[in-house]
Amino acid sequence: MTGPLLGRVVATERRPNTPHEFHFWTSLDSPIGIGTIVRVDGETPVGGQIVRVYGVVVEGFSYTDLLSPIHDVLGHDGSPSGASLAATERTEIRLYTAHVLRQIPEEPLQPVPMGKVALASDEDVAVALRMDSYLDPASRTAIPVGIYRAGSMESPIYLDADFLLGPEAAHLNISGVSGLATKTSAVEWLLASIFAHFPEQKGSVAAICFNVKGPDLLFLDQPGQLEDSDRAMYEKLGVKPAPFENVRYFAPYTAKGFNLNTLRSNEQLSENVSPLTWGLNEVMQFAEVLLNKDDIDAKADAFIDFLQERVIGREFHEAPLSTPHRVRSFGELETFFRDLLRGMEDRGGESWRTHHIATIRKVRNRLSNISTRCAGLVTDEGTVSDLPFGSFQDRTVYVVDVASLEEDAQDLIFARVVSKLREHLERRDLGVSHVVVFVDELNKYAPGDGPDTYVRKMLLDISERGRYLGLVLFSAQQFRSQVHRRVVGNSGTALYGRMDMDELATPGYSVLSAATKTKLATLERGQLMVRHPHFAQPIFVRFPRPAVLRGRDGAERFPQAGEITLDVAVMRSLRQLDPSISLDWIKRTIAGHEEAQVIRARNMTMQTRPERVQQFFEAQFRRIVPTDTPPRATAVPIRSLPSDDPYGF
Amino acid sequence: MMAPDAARNDASFHGVQRRLAAVLPAERWMESSAALELSALRAQDAPRLIAASLLEGKTMRAHRVPEAPQPRFEAFLDGTQTSRVIAHADGIPIVHGVVAAVIRHRVQRRMRTWGSPRVARALYAPLALLPATWRNALDAMELTIVDTLANRTLDSPHPFALQDAAIHAVQEAREAVERELGERWCGSAAGMRELFVDGAITGSEKVATASCVVGVVKSHRTLYAEGDALRTLVRLNRGERTSVFRVTSPKRTPVASWYLRLRDPGGRDPLWGLVRVEVAEQRGASDKDIAVRANDASGWVLAEALPLAVPDARWDKMAYGVRDCEEFLRSIL
Repeated sequence: MTGPLLGRVVATERRPNTPHEFHFWTSLDSPIGIGTIVRVDGETPVGGQIVRVYGVVVEGFSYTDLLSPIHDVLGHDGSPSGASLAATERTEIRLYTAHVLRQIPEEPLQPVPMGKVALASDEDVAVALRMDSYLDPASRTAIPVGIYRAGSMESPIYLDADFLLGPEAAHLNISGVSGLATKTSAVEWLLASIFAHFPEQKGSVAAICFNVKGPDLLFLDQPGQLEDSDRAMYEKLGVKPAPFENVRYFAPYTAKGFNLNTLRSNEQLSENVSPLTWGLNEVMQFAEVLLNKDDIDAKADAFIDFLQERVIGREFHEAPLSTPHRVRSFGELETFFRDLLRGMEDRGGESWRTHHIATIRKVRNRLSNISTRCAGLVTDEGTVSDLPFGSFQDRTVYVVDVASLEEDAQDLIFARVVSKLREHLERRDLGVSHVVVFVDELNKYAPGDGPDTYVRKMLLDISERGRYLGLVLFSAQQFRSQVHRRVVGNSGTALYGRMDMDELATPGYSVLSAATKTKLATLERGQLMVRHPHFAQPIFVRFPRPAVLRGRDGAERFPQAGEITLDVAVMRSLRQLDPSISLDWIKRTIAGHEEAQVIRARNMTMQTRPERVQQFFEAQFRRIVPTDTPPRATAVPIRSLPSDDPYGF
Repeated sequence: MMAPDAARNDASFHGVQRRLAAVLPAERWMESSAALELSALRAQDAPRLIAASLLEGKTMRAHRVPEAPQPRFEAFLDGTQTSRVIAHADGIPIVHGVVAAVIRHRVQRRMRTWGSPRVARALYAPLALLPATWRNALDAMELTIVDTLANRTLDSPHPFALQDAAIHAVQEAREAVERELGERWCGSAAGMRELFVDGAITGSEKVATASCVVGVVKSHRTLYAEGDALRTLVRLNRGERTSVFRVTSPKRTPVASWYLRLRDPGGRDPLWGLVRVEVAEQRGASDKDIAVRANDASGWVLAEALPLAVPDARWDKMAYGVRDCEEFLRSIL
């Protein structure tokens, strides 16, 4: 059923209608506004069929029969208060311009005919946005993104999963000013919607979210506050108003190595928080991310390649090394370098295997520095605690908290996680068939200008080829214009929250009308403009507040644990494997051992996850024998001194 | 393409031309020309002064309208006419005339159409002077044909004289539709409410005697004042009126009338912002009653001075409601 009649199409020689644009007028009290979807029914059949046109309002005009404002001034004797003296209101027009969403029949494509204009009903909205093709129950791939409102009508708006998560198109980009929580909220809502509606026959889906600032994404498993209007939207859109059921958090340690470097450190929430630590093997593959290209020249690069190919992870012994080396950790790498350089110095050699000693020193310096720069993430001893690549779970969110890390460490995490996802998706052994990777602050990782970094190349690669693999990028940033064009250009779906006027003045927004830009600049929280391959024009929607605890509220309700002692940190870690472990037992076990040794033992235990946790943990420590200083032997002179020696002592 | 029935009954200027061209293929047809009203009538009406027969007092003098202007009119009536020559038959103009009238009802300060507007299209020609082929062709048309010589005699068959006769016939048709609408208003339940009529109300006895009707005349080719009375008239200030006088004319109903200055004429011609108001004459009424009636009606008319009827060139005299009627009629013709 079509909505109420609101206006009539009008065209003049100066302002004609075209196949893509038309004009109509309405009464002064009509509920039409920018973004309203309308339906036009033509009056003359074309090919035996009455033409039906759907459009979205992009511009509005209002004017009276006055030719000059001075006449109004004269008419009120120059006093604005004189307005009430006029017995009659001037004839006033509300004239709107709409962009065509769809014409039926689609051929021949003709200028929009004169006709009656009505508000689009639910069915009309589905046809206008070509959603009818993927709302068919037999092949439904619809993912609710929000509700379109006009007057008293509310219509659900759906995205096509084939165009959101691949393979037809993929990726989503969201822009908006900071501080309104629109970007994060929209992604949280959309992930919930995807998890609820992604069709089973299309496979499984998980999400990896990089938490890059504050506590934004750290309480996705905790219920948030919803209003009745939000619940009504959840019901209409068929999504359960509940937090995510399956969420796992990963965070590196702090530099000390025993506290997790995350705001989600409250003990009540520690159950699903895991450390993220990598050793030499994991890092060397992505050394390029951490090494400054200007600093590492071709010679150093060649030496690093040699280390990766021939030294790391295998038995290596060659002069001038004094002993065979099997390098598996940064600690062992340092031992290797020390041995190598000492041997070269002893022999007075300037080069080894064509690598000059200065190059070797430089590489040693840069690689050794990695474990310092990424302390807490990269361990000297090579302990690995990683995301569950190979056993990802369907409808699970994996949050990697990198908010407190240095930029280098963030880049390393991002590069390695995405690369591993890609490797596993290519081999089809990740555990799920689709992964959504959410990256905020995209203008930092894939800027439109600046150096061509490893991370940017990787983001470009995902955006251009990820859809074939099921690797889907959900990205967000404040200024879309500052992001690499190919990254945002390959995003099939784009969402826009409230935008900055300066940003809207950039060329990328020139296709939007002035009124649409004004609306974008004044959008309320919870409103979005959506572009999607099926939609011929952008559409404005509202989405419900995410059913999860907001980061700020979560940080207040679950305050960050204070700096804890080593024994408490170890207890908390081991209790995940064996809840019976007590603090006293930990204290007794680690008494007298060095901090690094305790951390190594804890890491080994967490990595191995043995059945007998306590025995395994104890076995990591060497027996400490109390030192027993032997009595000093009395020195016996070789010969006795002459008794009359005047110089004898 | 227009449906066959619609084409057969198309009474528009070009529609009539097309239909006649089908019957008279050898004739030559006028392009879209300017409306005849723009030139012919003004040239013909000679300005004149007529001594007024006073109903209020002994001499024509200025009276300040005492009360603040209060809007009272419920509706506005106006008509329009357009005459254009579609062809000349041996020098005789065949005129296509369109007349229309509408009452626009004011509801919550916005204008709405009251009932249905009246629209009539016809061809105007001196049938006795036309060649037979033309007469036969016009007879065959499903269109109203008006003989411009039916009620008048001409001094000469000069084409301009024939053209003026056609214009007058169209004018009569326009007055007829205005009269019809005015009488309908007066005869309806709405007739208890005040109606602002653009122009004289003397053409219909029913309208001219209705207490709810006020006619406002903007043109002053005839001024009802001479000598001192004329000086009084041209010196009227804003918000002042003249004494009430009677307007009579053969075949028309006498009415009470007075001049009223709507706007300050400073620096403009003496008739700027001046209208002549017509109301039903109150037989046997005292001077005081006549003055009260004139003051009341003047206040209502003054209240219509806002908003300005710009961009119409006659905005100094025109009420916005009348302009609204004209715009409405322009949009439907």
